[in-house]
Amino acid sequence: MKFLRNILDAQHHHFAKGGKLEKLYPIYEMVDTFIYTPSDVTKGSVHVRDGLDLKRLMVTVAMALVPCILMACFNTGYQANKALAAMGATSVEGWRGAVMAMLGLALDPTNLVSNFVHGFLYFFPVFLVTNLAGGFWEVIFSTVRGHEINEGFLVTGLLFPLTLPPSIPLWQVAIGISFGVVIGKEIFGGTGKNFLNPALTARAFLFFAYPAQISGDAVWTAVDGFTGATALGQAALGGVQAISVSWWDSFIGLIPGSMGETSALACLLGAALLIYTGIGSWRIMLSMTVSLIVFSKLLNIIGSTTNPMFAMGPEWHLVIGGFAFGTVFMATDPVSASMTQLGHWFYGALIGFMVVLVRVINPAFPEGTMLAILFGNVFAPLIDYFVVNANIKRRAKRAQA
Amino acid sequence: MGNDSTTKTLIVATLLCVVCSVLVSGAAVSLKPAQDLNKVLDIKKNLLLASGLATDVSKMTAKEVEEKFQVVETKVVDLSTGEYVDMDPESYDAVKAAKTPGQNYKIDSKKDIAHIKTRAKLSKVYLVKENNEVSMIVLPVNGKGLWSTLYGFLALAPDTTTVKGLGFYQHGETPGLGGEIDNPNWKKLWIGKTALDAAFEPVIKVIKGSVNPASANANSEIDGLSGATLTSNGVTGLVHYWLGNDAFGPFLAKFRATTSNGEGVQDEQN
Amino acid sequence: MSKIKEVLFKPLFDNNPIALQILGICSALAVTTKLESVVVMAMAVTLVTAFSNFFVSLLRNHIPSSIRIIVQMIVIASLVIVTDQLLKAFVYDVAKSMSVYVGLIITNCIVMGRAEGYAMKNGPVLSFLDGIGNGLGYSLVLIFVGIFRELIGSGKLFGISILPLTSEGGWYQANGMALLSPSAFFLIGFFIWGIRTWKKDQVEKGN
Repeated sequence: MKFLRNILDAQHHHFAKGGKLEKLYPIYEMVDTFIYTPSDVTKGSVHVRDGLDLKRLMVTVAMALVPCILMACFNTGYQANKALAAMGATSVEGWRGAVMAMLGLALDPTNLVSNFVHGFLYFFPVFLVTNLAGGFWEVIFSTVRGHEINEGFLVTGLLFPLTLPPSIPLWQVAIGISFGVVIGKEIFGGTGKNFLNPALTARAFLFFAYPAQISGDAVWTAVDGFTGATALGQAALGGVQAISVSWWDSFIGLIPGSMGETSALACLLGAALLIYTGIGSWRIMLSMTVSLIVFSKLLNIIGSTTNPMFAMGPEWHLVIGGFAFGTVFMATDPVSASMTQLGHWFYGALIGFMVVLVRVINPAFPEGTMLAILFGNVFAPLIDYFVVNANIKRRAKRAQA
Repeated sequence: MGNDSTTKTLIVATLLCVVCSVLVSGAAVSLKPAQDLNKVLDIKKNLLLASGLATDVSKMTAKEVEEKFQVVETKVVDLSTGEYVDMDPESYDAVKAAKTPGQNYKIDSKKDIAHIKTRAKLSKVYLVKENNEVSMIVLPVNGKGLWSTLYGFLALAPDTTTVKGLGFYQHGETPGLGGEIDNPNWKKLWIGKTALDAAFEPVIKVIKGSVNPASANANSEIDGLSGATLTSNGVTGLVHYWLGNDAFGPFLAKFRATTSNGEGVQDEQN
Repeated sequence: MSKIKEVLFKPLFDNNPIALQILGICSALAVTTKLESVVVMAMAVTLVTAFSNFFVSLLRNHIPSSIRIIVQMIVIASLVIVTDQLLKAFVYDVAKSMSVYVGLIITNCIVMGRAEGYAMKNGPVLSFLDGIGNGLGYSLVLIFVGIFRELIGSGKLFGISILPLTSEGGWYQANGMALLSPSAFFLIGFFIWGIRTWKKDQVEKGN
């Protein structure tokens, strides 16, 4: 490892102030701090409670996402293999088929490895394009502004592919993440200054710009000409009775849907890690869940003769669609969420309420998690403002007394 | 006299109001004929487009539209009886009448598959003639899609069962999803399909996904708009409503019962 | 001469009513899906602003200050109604696609703002030119937004196909976002970003 250090140090003078590549310092810095701990030390009085820096925070989130990613690969492949087998195909077409044949894998929905590799061949290109396109903008903005390039994008680059359907065209992935990074983050000043979650901004952009490739029935399974609605899509038309998958399949994630969002179980594993390490706010997750349960239960009681979604119980709301994924990974994004602890409760409750509202009442959008979280993001500063003001008033009163 | 004296204020206010009202009413009155002509022309253009009599209407001049429209005979029909009503079709506005108490008819909520709540008692129908024989019946239709009410025309062959065209001239559906009802390729799918079954009940349906040509009902099915199930259902609903017994059903029945040129339908006044 | 130049061209970039004063946003969102409506709307606003400035300036020495705003409103409203009638009579298709937004020029802050802020203090000729200038500033932003929205949203400019659409057998997939109003916010944002990068003095000071 000393060898790497030497190479980096030997290049340092080019990038330092006054060097000929001064402008490209952020790129040098990125490589350096990605491999090694930053050499900066705190100057002045310090109050270290924990050695948590951005890098460790982001890496922890990435680790929490591992179950979701594994599940994304497996389930995408499983759904595709199942659909292909049902259609009577004997092998996978195109370059993915060639790769699978090279590895000696047959089209077999019961074969774990075949499913996983097939799914990976869908997930990976999306992941790669996301990181190339998003990273491109990240580097451009940091270089122009002379900021450090940090690990902030690492998580966005993992979250975004997981929220997409497997059949998404790659050019749309590139446009979507460009929008998310530039509009959702960079124009507000970059990592830590965005008030919207960049991954969700990117997805929302695609959702409104190219609805045909990210909603409807035909996109959720990576097989041409195969239509299979998501559980939420089915429920929106015919209520709980119309859902063709079992509750347990939904919980484990063996259903068609966005690549990483199908499995509530994988999200729970991630949640456990985030809460244990103190990185994800358990207050937000809890208040969102409770709010969703209370409000959907309320709608169950109110009932409706024309809208079958009123009758869908909270146990279904929790496991289908992107609720679990959104709750654990999106709503808890520390930058775009509410900052105050008391605010966390209101913020989570607002999102949980909005999820049910959009899912049940809105006729056009079967899924509401993405929109609800963005809505919550917009309200987070306001919530914080009230919480902080209430706190100031309370203390002023105490000081007077 | 100071600017702010009461007298001056009153004088300025009065003069200004008189001048402005003369200007505004003058413009409104003198331009009215041209505006009315435009409105009529607009509906005619939409009809030509929906029925396939013309394709590029936006560039057509008033004269060209009138020329094309010569083959079209406009009549007013009482929907409850199916009889023609003797009145000037030019001056009748069914869209307005649908909202006017007395002229409208409240649709029974069970029958209201188009979700429009009320419709006009009288409706226009357009008979397209070729060599003095009716070659096409064009019916104005409307109904609720996902976000908005769709207004359009449905063209039928003289047998009243074969579709000759469908087009909407006003709607507010999502671009790219429900908005695809304007897609020429989708509209083409309607031509030649069978709208009514042997008992003359509406059967034509926008289905989910693509039509399987081998299916028994293939001739009465239209490919669904992907990602726009509710708009697709809305289109099915409005076509069923307007072709059904609560709307144009009686008229179509009378039309079939008479000679091919449709003249045999009794005018109510006669 | 330099004064005329200043009145005419300053509102284009230096003091753009939309980009710097952030006025008249609502119509900029509503009518910009098609370039054809944009041009008609821009012309309508420019003419209304110019003539309302002109008439208000003519009357300025006789307007009692107690009913000043009402007088301006009446002048503007009359002009807008006449414009609306003219559009309906001569360019019906465009007028239909713009629906209520022609009538809403009355509430466009640019018109009222210029009448009160400029025409009440300056002569009729300069006021007229100021109206034209501000109308052009408004038009500039609208056309910028309109070009992008129509091109990206429906692959066309002035209704002529530039990028052949996939739904009609071409290669370009229309971006539905561009047809929704929020896209105009983004585009106006980009426009302001561009102007402020170019003219740094427009950037507000942080507090």
